[in-house]
Amino acid sequence: MIKLENVTKTYTTEVTALRDANFDIAKGEFVFLVGPSGSGKSTLLRLMNRQERPEKGAVWVAGRNINDMPDSKVPHLRRNIGNIFQDYKLLGNKTVFENVAFALEVIGRPRHVIRQQVPAVLDLVGLGGKQERFPHQLSGGEQQRVSIARAFVNRPLILLADEPTGNLDPATGEGIMRLLDRINKTGTTVVMATHDQRIVNMMRKRVIQFDRGVIVRDQARGVYE
Amino acid sequence: MISRLRYTFREMWASLSRNLTLTIAAVITSMVALLMVGGSLLIQRGFDNQLKLWTGGVEMIVYVKHGATEEQIALIQSELLSQATVVESAVHCDEVCAEKYAREVAFPNDPEFIKQLLPQIPSYFQVKPVDKDSSAVLRSLKTQFSQLPNVIEVRTPDDAVDLLGQLKDVIGVRIIVVSVVLLFASALLIWNTIRMAMFARRREIEVMKLVGATNWFIRLPFMLEGLLQGIAGAAGASGVLLLANDNWTSGVKTFPVNSGLRSFVVTDGYPIWVCMGMILLGALVGAIGSATAASRFLDV
Repeated sequence: MIKLENVTKTYTTEVTALRDANFDIAKGEFVFLVGPSGSGKSTLLRLMNRQERPEKGAVWVAGRNINDMPDSKVPHLRRNIGNIFQDYKLLGNKTVFENVAFALEVIGRPRHVIRQQVPAVLDLVGLGGKQERFPHQLSGGEQQRVSIARAFVNRPLILLADEPTGNLDPATGEGIMRLLDRINKTGTTVVMATHDQRIVNMMRKRVIQFDRGVIVRDQARGVYE
Repeated sequence: MISRLRYTFREMWASLSRNLTLTIAAVITSMVALLMVGGSLLIQRGFDNQLKLWTGGVEMIVYVKHGATEEQIALIQSELLSQATVVESAVHCDEVCAEKYAREVAFPNDPEFIKQLLPQIPSYFQVKPVDKDSSAVLRSLKTQFSQLPNVIEVRTPDDAVDLLGQLKDVIGVRIIVVSVVLLFASALLIWNTIRMAMFARRREIEVMKLVGATNWFIRLPFMLEGLLQGIAGAAGASGVLLLANDNWTSGVKTFPVNSGLRSFVVTDGYPIWVCMGMILLGALVGAIGSATAASRFLDV
């Protein structure tokens, strides 16, 4: 599903965010990207949805080298990739329903599809009764669930999560991980960057560890070291 | 398609109302700029109409000595008409006709002056030159005809035509320059309004890009917003211009007949065409301002 071939990304001549990275992620896998701040985890996620381009190497997503993809095709690529962020990136002036519906609306889905899919995905993330609430009326965990619902409502092939439990207490974070695990079991590939040792150890999924832009470990059913 | 349209208009409206003060400023600037463009066009047309009257009516009056015989008058007429390449016609108004003109048209409210004028009132020729717009031709004819026997004076509107032409050029050029500067300012203001609108909605734009909205889908509401601002400015300017033109036209009707300004009006369908042009220009300014901003700042 995702393949990196000798990928190098530098921001300035002094800062190399990623150096000669190689790995393969199969369809339906759940992968943790771990490492200290500035080790290249977030850069990798940005490369996977074409927010950035590498200086060297190729990033393959769903069988296409996305570095060579024309800009006009990028929106179509992103429709197959859901994004989850540490700060949720919800729109404060829209309700829970509208926040999730927005993701469908801007890619031109018709109204009847939105009316059908949004409540279903909100039920899936456990927010069935809170459709009319605004983000500020929700807890951090609930806001992250809205963010997950928005990322998943279009049934993407891949979910990219950048520190999704970073702002949450341990119990809420576990709830979010259970939700991501459920989504993963539907066949969606999940790639999650995290610092959360407890969660990585609890989930026992594949772990790719970075250190100063270099992959130093790639371990199936790994733990945080 | 319908859902996309609904989305586009909803977002455009939301953005307009969120940036209300900037929107109003952009609309007013466009309105003032377009009003000057339209006003300048109408003023130019007014000058043209006035010039047409001056050059299309009595272009040149050749006054004949009081008491000149019919032979002498016929000789003058044949001399005038012998210049076929420069003189279109030369119609004689005899002393009876000249008296009638003085009584009814030139000095209808001044019987005392008519009384003084009557014993010596000269007959005259109304001469129409072929080239009505050239004051140089008028001047040369004036010199030539002044030397004919029994001609006492030749009057031409050449100086007035020159003055009016110069006035038209000076006023027209200045108004056009100021209008262009103001149009540029309004495009910049619209550009800035769209930039601010995009900055205010940067989070939404970021989310839209991440979930796969195309750049055109994101740009469209902002572009429509700018377009609407330009059109609103143009519509306001058109309304003010039509009103001002109506007021001026009815005001001029009350001016004295010999004030020389009665034709300084635009009464045909020209103002409507000017308004349509202004609306197109407003739309163009709005579209250019917003399209460049929406493309430039999409990465907010």
